[in-house]
Amino acid sequence: MDDWKPSSLIKPFGARKKRSWYLTWKYKLANQRALRRFCQTGAVLFLLVTVIVNIKLILDTRRAISEANGDAEPEQDYDEALGRLEPSRRRGSGPRRVLDVEVYSSRSKVYVAVDGTTVLEDEAREQGRGIHVIVLNQATGHVMAKRVFDTYSPHEDEAMVLFLNMVAPGRVLICTVKDEGSFHLKDTAKALLRSLGSQAGPALGWRDTWAFVGRKGGPVLGEKHSKSPALSSWGDPVLLKTDVPLSSAEEAECHWADTELNRRRRRFCSKVEGYGSVCSCKDPTPIEFSPDPLPDNKVLNVPVAVIAGNRPNYLYRMLRSLLSAQGVSPQMITVFIDGYYEEPMDVVALFGLRGIQHTPISIKNARVSQHYKASLTATFNLFPEAKFAVVLEEDLDIAVDFFSFLSQSIHLLEEDDSLYCISAWNDQGYEHTAEDPALLYRVETMPGLGWVLRKSLYKEELEPKWPTPEKLWDWDMWMRMPEQRRGRECIIPDVSRSYHFGIVGLNMNGYFHEAYFKKHKFNTVPGVQLRNVDSLKKEAYEVEIHRLLSEAEVLDHSKNPCEDSFLPDTEGHTYVAFIRMEKDDDFTTWTQLAKCLHIWDLDVRGNHRGLWRLFRKKNHFLVVGVPASPYSVKKPPSITPIFLEPPPKEEGAPGAAEQT
Amino acid sequence: MGFQCLKIESKDPRLDGIDSLSGTEIPLHYICRLANHAIHLVVFHERSGNYLWHGHLRLKGHMDRKFVPFRKLRFGRYPGAFDRPELQQITVDGLEVFIPKDPVHFLEEIPHSRFIECRYKEARAFLQQYLDDNTVEAMAFRKNAKELLQLAAKTLKKLGVRFWLSSGTCLGWYRQCNIIPYSKDVDLGIFIQDYKSDIISAFQDVGLPLKHKFGKVEDSLELSFQGKDDIKLDIFFFYEETDHMWNGGTQAKTGKKFKYLFPKFTLCWTEFVDMKIHVPCETIEYIEANYGKTWKIPVKTWDWKRSPPNVQPNGIWPISEWDEVIQLY
Repeated sequence: MDDWKPSSLIKPFGARKKRSWYLTWKYKLANQRALRRFCQTGAVLFLLVTVIVNIKLILDTRRAISEANGDAEPEQDYDEALGRLEPSRRRGSGPRRVLDVEVYSSRSKVYVAVDGTTVLEDEAREQGRGIHVIVLNQATGHVMAKRVFDTYSPHEDEAMVLFLNMVAPGRVLICTVKDEGSFHLKDTAKALLRSLGSQAGPALGWRDTWAFVGRKGGPVLGEKHSKSPALSSWGDPVLLKTDVPLSSAEEAECHWADTELNRRRRRFCSKVEGYGSVCSCKDPTPIEFSPDPLPDNKVLNVPVAVIAGNRPNYLYRMLRSLLSAQGVSPQMITVFIDGYYEEPMDVVALFGLRGIQHTPISIKNARVSQHYKASLTATFNLFPEAKFAVVLEEDLDIAVDFFSFLSQSIHLLEEDDSLYCISAWNDQGYEHTAEDPALLYRVETMPGLGWVLRKSLYKEELEPKWPTPEKLWDWDMWMRMPEQRRGRECIIPDVSRSYHFGIVGLNMNGYFHEAYFKKHKFNTVPGVQLRNVDSLKKEAYEVEIHRLLSEAEVLDHSKNPCEDSFLPDTEGHTYVAFIRMEKDDDFTTWTQLAKCLHIWDLDVRGNHRGLWRLFRKKNHFLVVGVPASPYSVKKPPSITPIFLEPPPKEEGAPGAAEQT
Repeated sequence: MGFQCLKIESKDPRLDGIDSLSGTEIPLHYICRLANHAIHLVVFHERSGNYLWHGHLRLKGHMDRKFVPFRKLRFGRYPGAFDRPELQQITVDGLEVFIPKDPVHFLEEIPHSRFIECRYKEARAFLQQYLDDNTVEAMAFRKNAKELLQLAAKTLKKLGVRFWLSSGTCLGWYRQCNIIPYSKDVDLGIFIQDYKSDIISAFQDVGLPLKHKFGKVEDSLELSFQGKDDIKLDIFFFYEETDHMWNGGTQAKTGKKFKYLFPKFTLCWTEFVDMKIHVPCETIEYIEANYGKTWKIPVKTWDWKRSPPNVQPNGIWPISEWDEVIQLY
């Protein structure tokens, strides 16, 4: 044992080296069996759980994929999924029984917020002046109508009174003034505001600000007002915050009998306000019309395209008259709306018609022309058998015998290639210049405003070269161009079968309407039998003209043609006058004559080979342009054609004419 | 009456061709079941081109997949197109029903009725990128080409010869849903087994004289007819091999033969310039074979001898045969 020396192979037994903490921990643990066992089982269990979850996930995903594929169609139609997403704008019928409304009125900005959502905001300069009115559904808080009445300008307060009177009782009314709303706020309007419980409204002064929340027929819920301190300044901006208690759905709705029509009515009336008696609880206006059927209706299967934009109250008026016309086929009507506007679609759904919305392309008049093109192409796609289409706009009243008129004349469009269209509108048919609803003319213009388009013309000629979206052209001006019209004519009635009532529009305003559209003659006689329709064919018309001219009494050309005394005080006679017309495009005298007769003078309409036909003092009055018109041969040699000189050009004379 | 019914609706495809119109959905199929029986009502819609179209039976997410054994239904796997049949009224089991006047023809159409829609969305995208040619010449060409195509379709239909849009005309349909204005001619394809010797005289009779005839029925047959205003109607005959199809071309000057290879394809109906007409169902493969992967890019100068990626030289006609296989008029 003395000789025992430590083996050099073995490390000397010395102070223990610092062991890594891992090893320490490991050995420590290793010595505790229970803990070790426990950890191991835990790890294994964890692994098992993970694996199971993964497998389940894979199976679920696979099942979901195979379900979504349905009948082995590889492409996913995501449009379908989008279509199913109903934009739920309605408030849930949950425990919300109060609406939180904020109304702001100031010189340059107005806004209204309902439960945090801004439903109106206008801070654009130079527009939106006056009283903004919002109507909310008292059960859901949904915005039913939004209007602005520029009560700084005349007559707007009358419109506001009309509108407010039509709102159903119980609706929540919100009013706010932008800039100025008192200058033409007359007594009737003020009395109405007083009846709503407003204190400040009836006392609204120059440039005051005013915010109001109340109920139609019920109490005021909140009002704020700030007087303008001086003529040159505005009232302080006011911000009104109120809580509006919501009523139950039953209280908000009327109790009409449960029919399909009333279900449509209920859907409409709970979404939209401002349509008056159609939503009246006691005596609602009918929404279904049973016009007399038209015997031997030749236009029963002609599709009707209503070209609409966002003027739902116009559309409503127009559809009422259209559906009341004798011989209408509602299932052939399609309303094309230029844009995804809800209210026009609601109106279309109210009448149970088909509505198609179009994504707007381009701007201004190009937008309108693209909308026409899409609508016409769609019409012929949806009705591939149709040889014609009737084209109407949303701002027209339709005569009760509109379809009867078309039924009697459509064969002309089929048989006579020299015809471009049949239109219901006589450009020169004013109350004092149109007399005979049974009379038809051929004219070298395309009036539009309720017309029939031949499919072959559209498909072969117009559609392929329709103006592209960047061309800012009016579609009707383009159609009237000689490259498109190619010398063809349209058939029009003496007394128009459509009435243009639109005052607001891209090319319209109040003054234009007053001057050129208000006094247009409109036929209200049902079942008119058109006279001698076949004499409107090309050669037959010439025979008819020659007959008329031969019978016509020549007027005294020394008198002033603008005076009423130019024609004798007779009725039912035919007179002819000759005016100077040097060339085919010389319309100097005609334009002056049209001006003084107060008919359409912005461009030349209604002529047929240099001949115009109208009525004066209930006599048929023919005007022949000499020598350009081929009918000049009928002029007696002793007569000098009348020449009317245009007045000398003043400073700031109007430029190019605006057309509808 | 105790029936449980399922209604399948979808967007109206007739509005697809126009920039983003959206309207109400149209009904496509109704399936009503009672106990172990089911009635499948297929709704046919009229479309431009004088044909009836029915839609695809696709079940939406929430619908019951076990409602009826859908895979057994005769209609609905694909959208279908049918000639508009005239109907007659007959009495079956005491019930008055309408059936087609020619029931055999209608039943024969069913297996070959598969319809594919033109790719309007992609066409719009294409036209946005490469603006459409709106010159007078382009429009005149389109008008003449359409008339020529309609005349050819009518003639071939009367003969009972199946044909489809090929080459440039097919590319026009696939790429822009319209006739390519600079394509210069109308191209059709016919399976060689459908060849009938009266094709040439039939075209002659409707005012389309034969301009040239290349090849022979056994090999590389190709016909070309002269239409109005310098437009040609080219008919390529397709030959079937075990795993591919091909059609032949001939260079008149040198007698060289060419072969254009295509993967096998079946025929589907589609709507093109207001007509119901055939195109290859496997269109993208057909187009890519003929025009390569860059078919989306318009190429105004196309050399049929060299440009197609699927062209192969195929030898040369022996001079002794030239009289037969190269006939120019």
